[in-house]
Amino acid sequence: MNGRRVAAALLAVFVLAAGTACGIADADETSVATKDTLVIGVNADQPGVGERTESGSYEGFDIDIAREIAERLRVTDVTFTPVTSATREEMIQNGDVDLVVASYSVTPERKVKVSFAGPYYVAHQDILVRRSDTAIRSIHDLQDRRLCRVPGSVSFPRVHDEQGVAARPVVANGYSGCLTGLTAGAMDAVSTDDLILAGLASRHGRDLRIVNAPFTDEPYGVGIRKSDVNGCEAVNKAITRMYQDGTAARLLAKWFAPVGLKVTTTVPQFEGCV
Amino acid sequence: MTAVPQVPPAGRPDPSARRRPTSVARRRSSGRLWRAPGPTPTGVARLLPRTVAARVRTLTAVAAVLLVALLAIAWWAIANAREGVRVIGQDAGPQVVATGDLYFQLTDMDAQLANALLIGGAAGGGRDQALARYDENRQKASAALLKAAKLADERTEDNTARDVLDALGRYERLAGQALLLDQQSDHASGPPSQRVIDLYRQATDLMKLDLLPKAYNLTLDNGTLVRHTYEDKRSAVLTGRTWILVTGVALLAVLTGLQVFLARRFRRLLNVPLAAATLGTLLLVVAGAAMLSGQASHLRKAKQEGFDSMLALSRTRTISNSAAADETRFLLDPGRADAYEQVYLSKSQTVLYLKAGNLDEYNAAVQKDLSFVPGRAPFLGFLGTEANRPTESDERRTQLVDALNKVLKDYQKVQANDRQMRNLVHSGKRAEAVAARGTSAADFTEYDRSLQVLAGIHQKAFDEAVKDGDDGTGGWYTVLPVAGAVIALLVLVGVRPRLAEYRWSK
Repeated sequence: MNGRRVAAALLAVFVLAAGTACGIADADETSVATKDTLVIGVNADQPGVGERTESGSYEGFDIDIAREIAERLRVTDVTFTPVTSATREEMIQNGDVDLVVASYSVTPERKVKVSFAGPYYVAHQDILVRRSDTAIRSIHDLQDRRLCRVPGSVSFPRVHDEQGVAARPVVANGYSGCLTGLTAGAMDAVSTDDLILAGLASRHGRDLRIVNAPFTDEPYGVGIRKSDVNGCEAVNKAITRMYQDGTAARLLAKWFAPVGLKVTTTVPQFEGCV
Repeated sequence: MTAVPQVPPAGRPDPSARRRPTSVARRRSSGRLWRAPGPTPTGVARLLPRTVAARVRTLTAVAAVLLVALLAIAWWAIANAREGVRVIGQDAGPQVVATGDLYFQLTDMDAQLANALLIGGAAGGGRDQALARYDENRQKASAALLKAAKLADERTEDNTARDVLDALGRYERLAGQALLLDQQSDHASGPPSQRVIDLYRQATDLMKLDLLPKAYNLTLDNGTLVRHTYEDKRSAVLTGRTWILVTGVALLAVLTGLQVFLARRFRRLLNVPLAAATLGTLLLVVAGAAMLSGQASHLRKAKQEGFDSMLALSRTRTISNSAAADETRFLLDPGRADAYEQVYLSKSQTVLYLKAGNLDEYNAAVQKDLSFVPGRAPFLGFLGTEANRPTESDERRTQLVDALNKVLKDYQKVQANDRQMRNLVHSGKRAEAVAARGTSAADFTEYDRSLQVLAGIHQKAFDEAVKDGDDGTGGWYTVLPVAGAVIALLVLVGVRPRLAEYRWSK
């Protein structure tokens, strides 16, 4: 019966081998694609895009987009967490948030650290000034003027480094802070994406003016952990469906038609998940 | 399986017989072949058959069940391997090439429409040529779209393909209107009338904002489909291999056990048919496991050394091409020049990433030494990924490094031209910049060709792996049932005379 014992030992080895083979196959247990609950990082200080209301809930275009994506991922429980421009990558990398939907421009620098599903919209950077200030008509008029700088946001570097316009930075902690600074006269201009400016301007419609000289494309992506390819593809599919069934067009109209912003209602070209 | 019906269920002997084992054993203990059983077994042991005939039958039955399981698992694993090779090799792989081309055909349609409108109806102006090329591109685009729609296995993807078809229809309507209006106004060469320009702007916006993004997203969808198929099928093939080994070893153990049992009880040296069946099983298991290992390896090669690069390079070409279009728009539309410059930088960094705050810095960084050691490229982006992609064959690695070096050299030239063009524009020499577009367009075409050469090397690896995969499973659907029948027959031939001998001895 010695032969049988050897056979039994061999059998045990192969059963173990079968176990390890299965283990490799399902390494993506924590993918956003299969989760039931999601923590989504959003902006708390951008009127019309992502803003925390006095009651503690969130509202805005990004918030609605995040909810629609979660619904299409069959997620039952969504929690929103505020993120700032300075903390987004780190929070994704640490797993503090599953997704970030926070007017988050896809840039090659950020792609080194995190992955992006989408973009779900392509915004354009523009300039907001006081209505009385008619001297600023394009980004080149920002030379030597006081421009709001939010740490971690690409908006100021886009003007200062990419376009080489030597504006003077005035640091603020978020775009609501910029708005306060602008209306108080502590700075001359706020430059960021048209969607955000539209929301800010709607708060002080009489005193402020959007210059309407867009000078960048800002693809708003959904930030996601770099290794979660399945999750990224699932979010892309959700975005595609949002455009196909008219949800995206409805949300764009809901948030930006009242402020007269011209929007694109066709699906943007995706970044790709790998 | 012929052996199965003849074998009694393993539960024998029946419980009533077990309650009075002594009388049975005593009567049979006088038989030459029978050893008196020990004390009455308890627990699990009670389930074991206790007569020689029952034991032989049970072992044969177990062998038959294992044989059927072995064949079924092998069949399933082979079916998975074949399906994987089919989807990757015949459907999605060629499809990626087709949708990649779709992007270029659409872009070129738009360019030819602009040409036709600019040229006007002057004799010998080339309007007919432009329109002929437009038509040719439209036909190819429709064919590629039809393929994409056929492959679409999900509603979302299917809808995207349909939306592209729909948008293409609208584009053609606008293009037709613009052309007709232009012909009616009977203008010679030079800019057409404002109404024609308005129609063309609508058409080109539709192309840029609607058609092209969707065509690109279709290519990405194909990548997703291939990745899922690859992961599912390769994992199925490997699981199949593991279970073939498990059932195979179990079957070998049972056959060996049967051999040993027969040798002891019937005092024979070797049951030749049974030994042949054991050898046959061993061969089948080894060959099957080796074949499946091969299939897993072919699938991996087709995906990682072929398809992944083909897809990435198709995207590189697409992004490069649209960056080149943004260069042209930078020249033609000074009002949005800042935005076009920023987008150009972003797209360039997607293709080849080097840290740079603005296009000036990027242009300068690209002109530095870009030589690389495979696996440790000093740049990221699509080309960085290609430089770092592992390859097994040394010969292919050399080819790839050479082809990629050529791409990098051509890319440097394209970026140098871009710098020159922008310097001219910034120093107020826009006309000179426009005039230099001819040379830079030729350099861009050369760069695009180098990308295609690089993609061609991967295409070759892909085709080889797909062919190997196809050949590897060829014939196995015949081998399996024949081998199964032969092994079953040999076992039967080996066991039957012993059972018969036992019947006579009774």
